[in-house]
Amino acid sequence: MTYDESLRPGEIVLEHASRAFSVRADRGRTLKEMLIGRKRAGGPAPVQAMRDVSLRIEPGETVGMVGRNGAGKSSSLRVLAGIVPLNSGRVGCGGQVVSQLELGAGFGRDFSGRENIFLNGALHGLVKEQIEERLEAIIAFSELGDFIEAPVATYSSGMFLRLGFAIAAHLDADVLLIDEVLAVGDEAFQRKCEARIAEQIAAGATLVLVSHDASLIERTCRRLVVLDGGRKVFDGPVAEGMPFYHRLMGTAEPVASS
Amino acid sequence: MAHRYLFEQMVRRELRQKYRGSALGVLWYLINPLVLMGAYYLMFGVIFDQASEPDYPLFLLVGLVVWVFFNQAVMSAAPSLLDQGVLIRKARFPREIIPASVVSVQLVTFLALIALLAPITIAIRGTLDVALLLLPFVLACLFAFILGLAFAVSILHAYFRDVAPILSAALLPWFFLSPIFFRPQSITEQATARFVLEWVNPIAPYIGAIRDVIYGGVVPSAPQLTYVVVMAAVVLAGGHRLFRRLQGELAVVV
Repeated sequence: MTYDESLRPGEIVLEHASRAFSVRADRGRTLKEMLIGRKRAGGPAPVQAMRDVSLRIEPGETVGMVGRNGAGKSSSLRVLAGIVPLNSGRVGCGGQVVSQLELGAGFGRDFSGRENIFLNGALHGLVKEQIEERLEAIIAFSELGDFIEAPVATYSSGMFLRLGFAIAAHLDADVLLIDEVLAVGDEAFQRKCEARIAEQIAAGATLVLVSHDASLIERTCRRLVVLDGGRKVFDGPVAEGMPFYHRLMGTAEPVASS
Repeated sequence: MAHRYLFEQMVRRELRQKYRGSALGVLWYLINPLVLMGAYYLMFGVIFDQASEPDYPLFLLVGLVVWVFFNQAVMSAAPSLLDQGVLIRKARFPREIIPASVVSVQLVTFLALIALLAPITIAIRGTLDVALLLLPFVLACLFAFILGLAFAVSILHAYFRDVAPILSAALLPWFFLSPIFFRPQSITEQATARFVLEWVNPIAPYIGAIRDVIYGGVVPSAPQLTYVVVMAAVVLAGGHRLFRRLQGELAVVV
């Protein structure tokens, strides 16, 4: 149930991983419940987001993860990122793990873009000098120009996400966990993001990409994992996995080619 | 300490965000306690002057400044994990940094107030003594004690949202039962009551020890010093352990 940090950089292991979430509007428990020692009756039963999932990914692999809404894709990424613990099983990612789960989340809105780069870098365990080394590249990548000195509160949503991606893309990841965030900015910027991810893969990073965009997965991943109802139902080459996925989804039409 | 830089950034964030857009900015951190101290000084030092202690206003202010630190730190630590929920859901970093940075910001305020108050008190009272050398040590113990409480309170509040309201209700009577306006021995002859006021209230020995050093110019009693050290160690270790045990589900509950 603990997060294993002894793996080789870029290696990912999930063993018999299971995780359930209780579905409640108010997420905290009240003291009364604790003192009475029982949970509120009624409400939906816990959702089993991952059921006995085992997965071993070698350094440098590129893995796409697909499935219906609620199949457990995002939960798997959060578990891999070490943000949510498992109920049972083992999980671990080796080396620097960079998760692009909520780009720009946690930006201090009154801080300038530049200050947020430092805060976000620090959040991922970087020290001042390491961030300074990357500062120019991040600013250039974000295409924010002079806006980098303006408070983030004044940014458009596109600028916000661009800065978020630019930071995450320059953290020297051994493992990249990406969740549906490539719809960042305009088409030109999206291409730039894809190119940047390809660069990181070429440099040896492991990629786990969750997306509903089949053609994006075909372009960037070699291996496909299909999840359904929290279970792994397919694990293999993308070429074989995509037809399986489309049959599962009931969309038998041929895969859109890029 | 790979995350020292993150801690530094979080402290800055805390300092900047709380009073954003206000003309006085971080000065509010000093103004609030100063106003509170001024009000209590007026109330109990002038209007209801008991005059049981010489230079009563100074007696009162030294105790009050310790209480304000305790009160502010605990009350701002309680909701801190919920406030930073987005960061907790986004990245993996030691969650202790959040309450620790909140308490550290309050520590800075507290030290500024002490730096203001101590020289005045020592000059007026003429209490410059080698005992003063104990001050940094006692303050460090106080910080450890409050940090331990902050760990416990913040993690408990993340799971049980009643914790902060209960605390804010408890802190008011607690304030009047603490030896800020009086010495326990000067308001009661009863041994049990004195014992309770002096030793059951965990903040009382800290107030007593700091007052001994600054206002009294004497070394605190051995039992008091022992209490201050042992309580700091126990609360810090216990609070941190509780935090560690409960922090797993944080990203789910905040």
